[in-house]
Amino acid sequence: MEVKRDILWRVYLSFLGMVVLSLLVLGKAFYIQRFQGEHWRSMSDSMHQKIQELDADRGTIYSEDGQMLSTSLPRFDIYMDFQADGLRDKGGKIFKENIDSFAISLAGYFGDKTTAQYKKELQAAYKSKNRYYSLRKKMTFEDYKAFRNFPLVKLGRNKSGVIVEENSKRISPFGLLANRTIGLSREHVASNGKLKKQNVGLEKAYDSLLTGQKGQRLVRYIAGGAVPVEGFQIEPENGKDIFTTLDVNIQDISQNALLRMMESSEAQYGTCIVMEVKTGKIKAIANLGRRPDGSYWEDDNYALRVTEPGSTIKLATLLAVLEKGSSTLNELVEVGSAGRMIVGNRNVNDAERSPKPILTVKECFAHSSNVGMSKLAYKAFANNPKEFKDYLHKYHLDVRSPVDLSNVPSPRLAPLDAKKGGQMNMLTMSFGYAINVSPLHTLTLYNAIANDGKMMKPYLVNSIQSNGIVVKQFEPVVLENSVCRPEVVKAARESMEAVVTEGTGKPAFKNMPFAVAGKTGTAHVWDKDIKYGHGVYQASFVGYFPADKPVYSCIVVIRTKPHAAAHYGGMLGAPVFREIATKLYATYVDQKPATMYTAKKDSSTYFYAGNTKNIKQVFGTFNMWYADSVQQASWASVYAGSNYQPVLRTNTVREKLMPNVKGMGLKDALCLLESMGLKVTISGKGKVANQSVAPGSALAKGVTVVLELS
Amino acid sequence: MAETVNIQQSIQNPFGHLASKTRGDKVIWALVVLLALVSLLAVYSATGSLAYKNYKGNTEVYLFKQIAFIIVGIMVIYFAHLVNYTVYSKVAQIAFLLCIPLLVYTLFFGVRMNEGSRWIRLPLINMTMQTSDLAKLALFMYLARLMSKKQDVIKDFKKGFLPVMLPVAVTCLLIAPANLSTALLLGASCLMLLFIGRARTKHILITIGIAMIPIVFLVLSAVVRHSSGNEDTAVSTKSSGLFGRVETWISRVENFMYGSKAADNDEMYQVNQAKIAIAQGGVLGVGPGNSTTRDYLPQAYNDFIYAIIIEEYGLAGGAFIVFIYLVFLYRCIRIFKRCPYAFGAFLALGLSFTLAIQALANMAVTVNLFPVTGVTLPLVSMGGTSFIFTCLAIGIILSVARNVEKTEGNKEQPVVA
Repeated sequence: MEVKRDILWRVYLSFLGMVVLSLLVLGKAFYIQRFQGEHWRSMSDSMHQKIQELDADRGTIYSEDGQMLSTSLPRFDIYMDFQADGLRDKGGKIFKENIDSFAISLAGYFGDKTTAQYKKELQAAYKSKNRYYSLRKKMTFEDYKAFRNFPLVKLGRNKSGVIVEENSKRISPFGLLANRTIGLSREHVASNGKLKKQNVGLEKAYDSLLTGQKGQRLVRYIAGGAVPVEGFQIEPENGKDIFTTLDVNIQDISQNALLRMMESSEAQYGTCIVMEVKTGKIKAIANLGRRPDGSYWEDDNYALRVTEPGSTIKLATLLAVLEKGSSTLNELVEVGSAGRMIVGNRNVNDAERSPKPILTVKECFAHSSNVGMSKLAYKAFANNPKEFKDYLHKYHLDVRSPVDLSNVPSPRLAPLDAKKGGQMNMLTMSFGYAINVSPLHTLTLYNAIANDGKMMKPYLVNSIQSNGIVVKQFEPVVLENSVCRPEVVKAARESMEAVVTEGTGKPAFKNMPFAVAGKTGTAHVWDKDIKYGHGVYQASFVGYFPADKPVYSCIVVIRTKPHAAAHYGGMLGAPVFREIATKLYATYVDQKPATMYTAKKDSSTYFYAGNTKNIKQVFGTFNMWYADSVQQASWASVYAGSNYQPVLRTNTVREKLMPNVKGMGLKDALCLLESMGLKVTISGKGKVANQSVAPGSALAKGVTVVLELS
Repeated sequence: MAETVNIQQSIQNPFGHLASKTRGDKVIWALVVLLALVSLLAVYSATGSLAYKNYKGNTEVYLFKQIAFIIVGIMVIYFAHLVNYTVYSKVAQIAFLLCIPLLVYTLFFGVRMNEGSRWIRLPLINMTMQTSDLAKLALFMYLARLMSKKQDVIKDFKKGFLPVMLPVAVTCLLIAPANLSTALLLGASCLMLLFIGRARTKHILITIGIAMIPIVFLVLSAVVRHSSGNEDTAVSTKSSGLFGRVETWISRVENFMYGSKAADNDEMYQVNQAKIAIAQGGVLGVGPGNSTTRDYLPQAYNDFIYAIIIEEYGLAGGAFIVFIYLVFLYRCIRIFKRCPYAFGAFLALGLSFTLAIQALANMAVTVNLFPVTGVTLPLVSMGGTSFIFTCLAIGIILSVARNVEKTEGNKEQPVVA
């Protein structure tokens, strides 16, 4: 037992050692928790949790009729991690098995490189253990969908090492159309390394709404990827959609008319705005600037750029003097025949020689006599040039245009204080110099006259919608209930009509099928780098149509190349205006509502129409006797003959003539009409009772026929 | 006594038959079941990310695997404890002699995991086995046999100490190249057993002194490497083969001594993650299945399961596990005290102490008291061959206990009757 006792104390000593070790272990654990706990816990959070930003989709900009003008499309950048577990596993078994088919798929689908090239590149990247090999960038969603089913890729991220990064690209489905006004949304890396937005146009003006609110979520990284932590997620709020007042068709018409004129005259830049008279909605806004290669692009919003307008400002002068009552429309003014005259203390030149030495006020306006207009202004405001400014203010020509765009330049006016050469400046202004306003300013005023003196705020956005729900609706805003007395409006409109019928606009509007009114303008440009000697002109035409019942107002401004042969507003601006007016008149103004052609009441007890073969087949099946007068025609109608016996008669169908579809079933009617290139809308059900186009009337392709079924 | 009740019960109750055959220390049985349950919970929780990787998130796969291991393990314990422990004396000798060539084979042809060749792939069942697990068990049993035989001459260096020490040295040296930490732990355990087995303290100290030479060399290398910066690492990592492991040892020691010099270093990462888990746990833990660190902590289900246990069940849970092992050790000491035969006594002591040492070593690694070694937490870490060998060891201990009870029962039977 001595031995056993000797062993026992050793055992207990060892056991004690174990207990001490246990206490040390627990003590260390306690120490880690108590004294280093914070450190480790915060390390845990920083290592395993991360706040991820959730991108909000940028809103879409729509035209008035709901066409996408600017929208975001997803783009996919594909990278490959050649160190992915799956690829390296078992000596790269998956990679070796799939590389051939993968390369074949890539080459087959994209076709930019051969299979061998793809294979070589992939193998090189695999060999170099590239963890972020850029395979393909800016893949469209369609391509990406195909790519997802490629061999290797479909094995998933871990096995294939394929990394997909999604980002969005802003695109304008209509390309050039109103591009500058819709704007651009782009980002660039600023010198301080931060991403900076560099937007223009509506994209900029409504950026905060379009952008939406980025969401956030807390994710915890685990073996299979990142898992969101519940309760720590802020959903992204997608950007709102902007529904503009722009009309794609009007925009297209305006832009093309402008572009043609500019190309033929090699003009520097041009702009054209179409506004809806009653509301102030901007229906189209085209801005074209010449690029070094001679093509044109929407490179700046020229419609907002303030310049010396030239003669188009004479409307303001006319309104002011008539409003003041210092002159009347039929008052005679001596303008001389030299084309220049000293008015007040200033020598005034006419751009175009006056047809006769003495003109009425209306004629002064119609022939755009600088001498005449300045004389009127002199008569009205010589003693108090500042009063002229009050009128300009009333016409909103001295304030920034309230249009809903950002960075709208302010107009600039020369001082009108008597002491600071106010009289001279006032006279200069009266025919469109010493004042800088934008085409939009000018149009707003002309639109007011077309709108019986009620000035509307020009605007571009109808509504802001979020997922189809209107968040904010913009209604037309009246800027000035009446910019002048009604008789002045009447006089001004009369004068503007005279411009087209007998004045500077006469040649351009010869044989115009409907009346228009407006004013030409030809400004000799003195700008930053352009001196009078360069012979650069700004030719414009602004007006509205139809003259009797204005629907649209429009301004065309074209800046010519130096020493251009054609530089008058009547030669450059007016034809563009005419083209736009003519096209819009046909489609938008002169649109008569479809009247229903009601077929005359049929006295027969029954009436069927349809395909001859089908009808004959039906009769044949039921063994019915019928009188056949059709023979070979493919369409027929059946009516009750004598003794109520069915008579089959030819339903004549000729090319480009409206057939009679009455009595037909919808299937037959659609088949027949649509084969003739007509568009059919229907109402009701049953057989065709009425058709909106009378049988036998001439047809153009694409005409819509309304069918009433009953 | 309880046994007689069992016998009576077994007559009436067929299921009681099994209970009656299940002898040995009831407390140890209970502790085994308790640890198995803990392992079930902890492994199920900790294998989340492994399941994700291998079975697409089907975590039940590992749960059922573990259940299977526990069932097999308990069967092993049961059958092992039915065997008369004296049989193990002969088995020990054969097993040990078999182990030597097996270790040599492993060293040269074993499956490489984490660089060291520690594993051989078993034919038929296609499982990898850590040869050192088998060797350890065989060595402890063999040691018990040797010590019981040489008890009289144990104080003598040549006659007693050396013959006992020789198999220890051979085994440790064979394991060391592939798995230094296991070798050291094994060596330390054996020296403790020798100390218990009444070997002279002087002899033991000399042995420690000799063993310390390579250790000191390791520490010095670590110091040198740490002060000379990273250039050496680049050169020395090129060396491969047996001595490639030396690199790992040095860097492990270096990491342990100097902390996170290289934060991205795998082992430093493990240690830091383990500390994070411990720090997250607090006193009462975050609750079963709520561990977050398990997804980042490599070997969370295996070598570092203790960290997950502390995270989920807190310091209290951690202390409870320690307590279980200490109670287990204490119960085994009780068996030793009651065991009349030297071999049985040494067998119970040797196996129980080494199990407890392994458990505490694992925990000490987890709390960063020791440098990272590849030791599992007995019975708790996810199943594998080491789990089965642990069960075998416990079965042997219980076999000793059963025999002790039997002899005691025989003595007491007349009293009861």
